Amino acid sequence: MTNAQKVDADPILVEIVAGTLAAIEKEVETSIGRTSRSPMIRDAHDFRAGIHDRQLRKLTGRSYSALVHPVVRDYPIETMNVGDVYFHNDVYLSEGGIGHLPDLCVTVPVFAANPETDQPEVVAFIQAFGHHDDIGGAVPGSMPSAATSVYEEGLMVPPIKLWDRGVPNESALKIMTRNSRMPDSLAADLDAECSACLAGARRLGELFERYGVAAVEACFEAILTSSTEVYRREILSQIPDGSYVWEDYAEHDGVDEPQLHRQRITLTMDSSKDVPLVIDFTGTGPQAKGPINHCGDYADGNFLKKWLAPILRNLAETPERMAQLDVNEGVVPLIEMRFPEKGTLLTPIFPAPTNARTFVILRLLGVLAGVLAKATGGRMPADQETIRYTGVYGTDSGGEPYLMREVLGGGSGGRYYADGEDTIHVVPDSRNLPTEFTEGRFPLRIERLGLALDSGGPGRYRGGCGYEKHIRVLRDAHFMSIADRSILACWGVKGGKAGQPFQVTVDPGGPDEHDVDALADAEPLTAGTVVRIRTTGGGGWGDPLDRPVEEVLRDIAWRKVSVAGARADYGVVVREDGSADEAATEGLRREMRELRTGEEPFFDRGPGYATLSGGATFNEFDVL
Amino acid sequence: MSERRVRIGIDTGGTFTDVVAVDEETGHTTTTKTPSTPADPAEGFLNGVRKVLDLMGLDGSAVTAVSHGTTVATNQLLEGKLDRIGFITTEGYESVLEIARQSVPDGYGNSYFWVKPPRIVPADLVRTVRGRLDHTGVEVRPFHEDDARSAARFFRDAGISTLGVCFLHAYANDAHERRMLEVIREEHPGAVVSISSQVLREYREYERSVTTLVDAAVKPKVSAYVTNIRTRLDEIAPDVPFYVMKSNGGVLSAGEVVHQPITTMLSGPAAGALGAALIAGTAGFDRVLTCDGGGTSTDVTVVIDGEPALTTEGSVGDYPSKIPMIDVVTVGAGGGSIAWLSPEGTLKVGPRSAGADPGPICYPDGGNEPTVTDAHVVLGRIPPHLLGGEIPLSTDEATAGLRRLGAKLDMDLERTATGILEISAWNQANALRQVTVAKGLDVRDFTLTTFGGSGSLLACRLMDILGLPRTLVPPNPGNVSAFGLLTVDVRNDYVQTVVSKHVDLDVARVQSVFADLEAQAQAALDGEGFGRDAQRMQRTADLRYVGQAFEVRVPVPDGRLDAEGSETVAQAFHAAHRQLYGYDFATDPRQAVEWVNLRVSGIGPIRRPDLVELQARDGGTDRAVTGSRRVFFDDWVDTPTYNRPDLGPGDVVRGPAIIEEFGSTVPVHPGFAVTVDAHGNLLLTKEAGQ
Repeated sequence: MTNAQKVDADPILVEIVAGTLAAIEKEVETSIGRTSRSPMIRDAHDFRAGIHDRQLRKLTGRSYSALVHPVVRDYPIETMNVGDVYFHNDVYLSEGGIGHLPDLCVTVPVFAANPETDQPEVVAFIQAFGHHDDIGGAVPGSMPSAATSVYEEGLMVPPIKLWDRGVPNESALKIMTRNSRMPDSLAADLDAECSACLAGARRLGELFERYGVAAVEACFEAILTSSTEVYRREILSQIPDGSYVWEDYAEHDGVDEPQLHRQRITLTMDSSKDVPLVIDFTGTGPQAKGPINHCGDYADGNFLKKWLAPILRNLAETPERMAQLDVNEGVVPLIEMRFPEKGTLLTPIFPAPTNARTFVILRLLGVLAGVLAKATGGRMPADQETIRYTGVYGTDSGGEPYLMREVLGGGSGGRYYADGEDTIHVVPDSRNLPTEFTEGRFPLRIERLGLALDSGGPGRYRGGCGYEKHIRVLRDAHFMSIADRSILACWGVKGGKAGQPFQVTVDPGGPDEHDVDALADAEPLTAGTVVRIRTTGGGGWGDPLDRPVEEVLRDIAWRKVSVAGARADYGVVVREDGSADEAATEGLRREMRELRTGEEPFFDRGPGYATLSGGATFNEFDVL
Repeated sequence: MSERRVRIGIDTGGTFTDVVAVDEETGHTTTTKTPSTPADPAEGFLNGVRKVLDLMGLDGSAVTAVSHGTTVATNQLLEGKLDRIGFITTEGYESVLEIARQSVPDGYGNSYFWVKPPRIVPADLVRTVRGRLDHTGVEVRPFHEDDARSAARFFRDAGISTLGVCFLHAYANDAHERRMLEVIREEHPGAVVSISSQVLREYREYERSVTTLVDAAVKPKVSAYVTNIRTRLDEIAPDVPFYVMKSNGGVLSAGEVVHQPITTMLSGPAAGALGAALIAGTAGFDRVLTCDGGGTSTDVTVVIDGEPALTTEGSVGDYPSKIPMIDVVTVGAGGGSIAWLSPEGTLKVGPRSAGADPGPICYPDGGNEPTVTDAHVVLGRIPPHLLGGEIPLSTDEATAGLRRLGAKLDMDLERTATGILEISAWNQANALRQVTVAKGLDVRDFTLTTFGGSGSLLACRLMDILGLPRTLVPPNPGNVSAFGLLTVDVRNDYVQTVVSKHVDLDVARVQSVFADLEAQAQAALDGEGFGRDAQRMQRTADLRYVGQAFEVRVPVPDGRLDAEGSETVAQAFHAAHRQLYGYDFATDPRQAVEWVNLRVSGIGPIRRPDLVELQARDGGTDRAVTGSRRVFFDDWVDTPTYNRPDLGPGDVVRGPAIIEEFGSTVPVHPGFAVTVDAHGNLLLTKEAGQ
């Protein structure tokens, strides 16, 4: 039997192979998570492992991952040897798989013997990338919010051979560590990634040895085909044929004044086509001067297809079913992506900066959710925004520099079956920093880690609350923030209202009280000062006046909604003793309904939108 | 009055209560089982004690000790409605349970549709108290008495009488929590209270809070359960020492259990692992994988030199628990696991189980979905009856069920049945890999020890898939958990977080913390009646490289700790890190080592039962042959069946063969052979050239 020969997949073996792939992916991720140093990897879990076949197709489905395409482009498969480890972080040479330079990506080929020649040949790839602390550039952390070119963002490494037949390339490692402000943890993180991927590659190799290349590859094919068919049958069937347009915006690029940085999707569904779903980004705004650009238009949008497809899962029958669906390469054949000409937010021209591209690709999740909400009459969750970087840096009592940086999530949007959840994060297993860890490690006191009252968007199903965190610096320090959604808010849908935006306030309630810009590299803080961070609440779903009174009372008891908020947002009048005044509530709710024009838009973008739109509270795409 | 002295182990399972009694003099064991009585578990417990004593012709005066383990009772506690409990924490942290660690399980993007399970305490039953410590335990702001009093009164007035208390940095200084406890005693004297500094002196406020609350939540019920059994046991054997199995692999006297109930959660798998490890160790194998196959799931663990691997990252139900527990991986692959077609059209096995009711298709009044047991009976791998013939199984019904499933996949009967078993075996194999590979161990260095009703059925396939050298099947595989209860020592764990870089380590402080922890351990063992000579202290420390979020546990030498000793610990850490993850930084001075937790386990050794050597039997193995039947391995083949009790030391049985005993079956595939060792264990190996 030759490798090229197609064999039918054995249904038993398919299940065995699928189980083993999932187990290997988990082993690799567990190993990286436990041994790496960078808080972005260790706590925020900003790292991913992926298993790809030799056709570069992603086989595993828990998460997005980088691409193998750039490695194979520069090092053809037939030139690879056992013990090779490839490395890259160069955004523009990553085919869109790497979004910013701190994401260090390691790729290890998996070998198995060709049954005819008995020679080892590449049959698959194990790949992992992780968000490292620092890869050089203009500021600590390699995420300069005012960068205007990629040269300010750190060291760019195109695909290179980091290990050659088992031998690490010391010269490359020296160059990379020399360019980092945190060389020791960079070296440690790289070791963690390489060791974990090599172990995963050995294990996957054993599977090929046991069952033969042809049989295992037939299973890969079956896994991907079945995924394609499930999405076609259970997900895409929920989208009525037709064309739908919606757009949303990043608010700030760190360089220009805040403005609407537009991302638009025209989604066209034609169930009669082999490729039924077209996602067209035409209308997306021009490339930003600052670092919010994302290189989306490479490899036919392969990365973005898998990045966005998890949103489609919300169309499944039940939340339980949504959780069962994997996103692997099987979704790719169902989607065609069309990109605008070069020079937009999604088609930036080298060397446009990209370090805060998270804003744009997170927003794209929201644009797709919104356009699907339009297509399905609102059978989608309201908006969430769960990634922003906040931190404090300075020197500790021993004179050592420190950087406490974390990713604080936010509230998720209301769903047609449940309220949004508080303080969650889009990346699986991402964790906040325990106060007892932070205070032991940094000269900080975390005075409060709570929920931001009233931050969840009102709705029949309320949006989840964001964080309210109070950090007191015990020594002079600087505060940094890289956050979107500080003017614009997470939108509500189908009558639901927007959540509250991100906000940072220094010395709240004190003589020096002032807000800090959401993109701040170095806000000075004197010893003893408190800085308060409030993160975004999720959007609401459905009419808040339809929310049962007892649920609003429970929200008050659970400190998620204030008495004033209950009245203003839900029309619920609460007495001194905490009970609801039924008659007054009914009257108030009637009054509030009567004030409506009947022409309210399908989406509520919150009050901040008007400040950037020239006064309009919604646009032509926000109505059904 | 009898001269014989026996110790009794009782393992309460969902269906049966297993009982083992060991004669203190001869080491002979007597086993029995009795139906469990979920409505009042004490009933089945006492029935078991009486039944085994009757079998031995003894009365209660012969009993020297009773050890008890159960997962079922604790699971019932969890599944049943927990009492409404209250939570008192530091000002500013009232939402610590709502926030948790912000993580959403499983896949990327699940944050859009995930619905959080209910918190252990609803947000309206959380109260905060002013007062603040820093991470070294120094008071930053004083404890606020008025807040404390008003919190205690709030819960008293609300009728909430189970409370958990967790203040920030209480692991470093318990003064505020102790004062809070005093205030509660004054204001709300009837309340059951757990304070975090007594449950778990380890940093990370969310995990410590939840662990403390689980402890509080189960305290009243565990206490009632244990007290009830104690009282009833006194009717048979007054004042006999009564021990309860802990999840850390030790036991604890019933009187002490009520003060640390959380340590007894999930104790069932621990007993089985320890029992199997003792048996395998006596047979000469010190690296052991245990595989306990039941009706709904299979529990696997790794035991090296008699020491089971422990984890502090376990969970009890939905709630994380940082209490040390044996690292058991449970897979939904048992006899009752259901084979089904996913919406994607692929064949899946488990984790849903037909359980005992309705049970597999082949059971009398069984279910209508095919299970692993149905596949075994169709292939002839198990006899067409259960428990020595008491319950007949219907091969015809099972065959029809499997044919229906196979038709959807276009597979014949044999392919469907072997396919179900193959998937089930791989599910178990992945779990066995997980417990070894994740610890840097090579699975091929281990002896698989299989027990439980379904544990041994797939042993040959597991050996093949994982490349294992041998499998050991103990006698009475259904009773290994109950036997294990008789093999474990009294054991208490103490921890104190002390974060320090290795280069800055204050060795005197470490020494004094160890001394404090050992004093606590000694006091507890004194209370359990162990003389100081008998007590054993085991020190360990959790270390990491600065910046890592996870620690690696390594042993700390006994005696006075000096700089040299601390260096030994650091070196042990480097080596353990290499073993676990494949690399270390022992020779890289830039990579600093950090100490995090200091731990002491206080151990009170219990006399372990001696395993008895059996006499060789006369004649050949034909004496044990009971007949033959058609069994499908790679093809249908006439296969002799053996009655295990008639096999003796030195006997060798070559596959294909089926070895049967009460409650358990071992299919020996072609190419495998079984040797009976001196203690009656079956040693399954692959024959050379196969």
